[in-house]
Amino acid sequence: MTKLQFRVLCRVFLLRVVDLELLADHGDSVRLLGQFAALLAAISFLFTAPLILVGGRLPEETIWTMEHLLIATTMVVVGLFSVLSWDSTFPDRRDVLVLAPLPIPPRMLFVAKLTALAAALGLSILALNVFTGLIWPLFFFPATNGVLASMRSLAAYWMTMLAASAFIFCFVLCVQWLTAQFLPRQVFLRLSAFLQVALFCLFLCVYFLEPSLETIGALSTSENQRLLVWLPSYWFLGLFQRLNGSMQPAFAPLATRAWTGLAMATIGAVGAYLLSYLRTLRKIAEQPDILPGSGRRNWAPSFGGSLRTAIVLFSLRTLLRSRQHRVILSFYLGVGFAVVLACVRPGLGHRESSHGTATADASLPLLIASILMMSIAVLGVRIVFSMPIALGANWTFRITEIYRVPAYLSATGCSLFLLALCPVWAVFAALFLFIWPRGQAIGHLVILAALGMILIDLSLLRFRKIPFTCSYLPGKGNVQFVFWACILVVLPLTTLFAKFELQALHSPSRYAVVIVILAIAEILVRSRSVVFARSVKALSFEEVTPAEILGLELHGDGGAPLERVLNRP
Amino acid sequence: MLALRHVSKRFSGIPAVDDVTFTAYAGEVTGYLGANGSGKSTTMKMITGLIAASSGEILFEGQPIHDDLIAFKQRMGYVPEEPHLYTHLSGVEYLMMVAQLRNLAPRQSAERIAGLLRLFGLHDDRYAPISAYSKGMRQKILLSAALMHNPDLILLDEPFSGLDVGSALVLRSLIEELAARGKVVLFSSHELETVERICSRVVILHHGRIVADDSIASLRTLMALPTLEGIFSQLAVEQDTVAISRRIADLIQA
Repeated sequence: MTKLQFRVLCRVFLLRVVDLELLADHGDSVRLLGQFAALLAAISFLFTAPLILVGGRLPEETIWTMEHLLIATTMVVVGLFSVLSWDSTFPDRRDVLVLAPLPIPPRMLFVAKLTALAAALGLSILALNVFTGLIWPLFFFPATNGVLASMRSLAAYWMTMLAASAFIFCFVLCVQWLTAQFLPRQVFLRLSAFLQVALFCLFLCVYFLEPSLETIGALSTSENQRLLVWLPSYWFLGLFQRLNGSMQPAFAPLATRAWTGLAMATIGAVGAYLLSYLRTLRKIAEQPDILPGSGRRNWAPSFGGSLRTAIVLFSLRTLLRSRQHRVILSFYLGVGFAVVLACVRPGLGHRESSHGTATADASLPLLIASILMMSIAVLGVRIVFSMPIALGANWTFRITEIYRVPAYLSATGCSLFLLALCPVWAVFAALFLFIWPRGQAIGHLVILAALGMILIDLSLLRFRKIPFTCSYLPGKGNVQFVFWACILVVLPLTTLFAKFELQALHSPSRYAVVIVILAIAEILVRSRSVVFARSVKALSFEEVTPAEILGLELHGDGGAPLERVLNRP
Repeated sequence: MLALRHVSKRFSGIPAVDDVTFTAYAGEVTGYLGANGSGKSTTMKMITGLIAASSGEILFEGQPIHDDLIAFKQRMGYVPEEPHLYTHLSGVEYLMMVAQLRNLAPRQSAERIAGLLRLFGLHDDRYAPISAYSKGMRQKILLSAALMHNPDLILLDEPFSGLDVGSALVLRSLIEELAARGKVVLFSSHELETVERICSRVVILHHGRIVADDSIASLRTLMALPTLEGIFSQLAVEQDTVAISRRIADLIQA
């Protein structure tokens, strides 16, 4: 009985990593999880492809750099996974209300939650290392050694990855459990979303900004020792080297630090868990989820027209108060931020001094960064708009649908403008007006706003929904396609455009040409979106529309599938 | 006047509502009764336009509602069976949003919302998120949202669900008052005593088909039964309730 209960709970919690309520009727959470696994496996292949193409033995320092890169990548992915599954760590209010009356010990709830999380985490690590973990370890040992050494390298690789992952996962759990333990639950709920975003940024910034120290000289020098204390990915590089049989003394203190860190994080997580699980469960049951932003005043500015105001305020309040949506948006913004950092980091060290301009002039890396962040912000908010909140409540909008469809789509565009374009534009406006000559700053800000407008219209070209009100169908967005399209197409285009813009900022005639081109593009895109809006007969509230022709879906023997018979309304 | 003419709804070929025809008149409360799964809520959703009928026609004041669905929605108020609300909004934020979606004038809507919240006893909790509301409080928010634009057609699907005794008495009087002021009220409930008190006519649905459509007095005379409960039991309850309850008790003791 107990084993059966535990298995059932684990299965339920594992599938609840994705919120099933936001999926469309035929949405499949397993498919969504499969897509993420495929994305991780694709990253693994990307890291392995150069090795397959080039082949042969590599210089020792290149091998160490690669070892560190793979460890750091696994750690950052596990860190992001831990942050994303933050809300799944504890049983939530619904779990407690449904499961607490059943004869299930609270300990089993927690252990089942942890087991489900660990299983999901294990699958993520496996997917991320599916190619790298089989091929790279064969290059991580001296060529003169035989099969046993290669086996040792393979074992050392996977042990290191598991240890590094466990360290990061336990670290995040420690942070969460300690805040849950010592803060009132309502404060914890309000604070946890900000903690998630902070950890998210911390992991990405460390990953992209940590210095390259993969040489014996850099690892041994006393100047770097204080830095190495704060860079866990180097601890686990040391651990890997020791497990792999390296006798280099520079790795010994790092490996010791890795074991110590892992032990402390694990003991901290287990200890915090043992101390808090009963108390936290009671808190969840006794205290309702008071959401942020429930002040004693009704803040209701007008955004022009009652419909527009209603939809903009609804979007704004949903984004501000729904932790789930905020975390998903943080994920996209975080990935975008990482891409921006990766792109502009090499250029930030030495300012552009082309065209004979002073060093304070507009620089190419910042131009690229601002355009990329604008694109990612628009894309991220647009994706989050597709994910519903309280899907069952969308009857409110359906029952009050007293305007024509274009009015709703216009209000949606306005929401995207205010929630994506305005904040990014304002941040860069403050930055550029501070560091650049006013003329160049204003010139670029005009272009940035125009680009943002074009992107908004482009992203809403086939969007016939009110934000947060339509069910979500995994796979329709094709995450992988969008991801690779952004990397392979948008990045080079942005660089090209930024180079042209940099020249235009110093030449009024070229600047005029850029503005005219952007204006024409905006007119074309806007006219297409207006034509589309007029052609839409009804707003979409369900991602899967009922079929025109009813399929009988009979089995080979002519019988109806059991689930169809059971699911009769 | 709301009229349904031969309205049917099929889900995957299986009829949920089958050839339903009845009329609800202005100035009276029409009770719409049936057992669980008989098709009451499906009919309500077809009238509101939330789901499309498979066949048949729905008319309001003689016009098919789908000829101008927008104009129809402006004149309709609906309390759904399930209190699905945006729980991350406060009561006042939700009602303000509904008022804006209905294009009510800001000052008028603010006055009405404040008045409704005060009369329903929600004024002190108006800034609390709906997630913290009890079921009865959510029901009052639904009622306020359905009535704030002074609709001519009011569809009430189990409106007493979760209400305390005092609020239920207020709602009962309110329904009668609204009908007296010329509104068309279609009222679905399992509380037969309340239906008997406030409805002029009842339509009884069984397995998606209408089995009775008349005034309660006529039905009493026709069927020679003193109460609506007796009439309903005879028309729409197939089971031997005492025998089933015994079997349930036996089953859990076995």
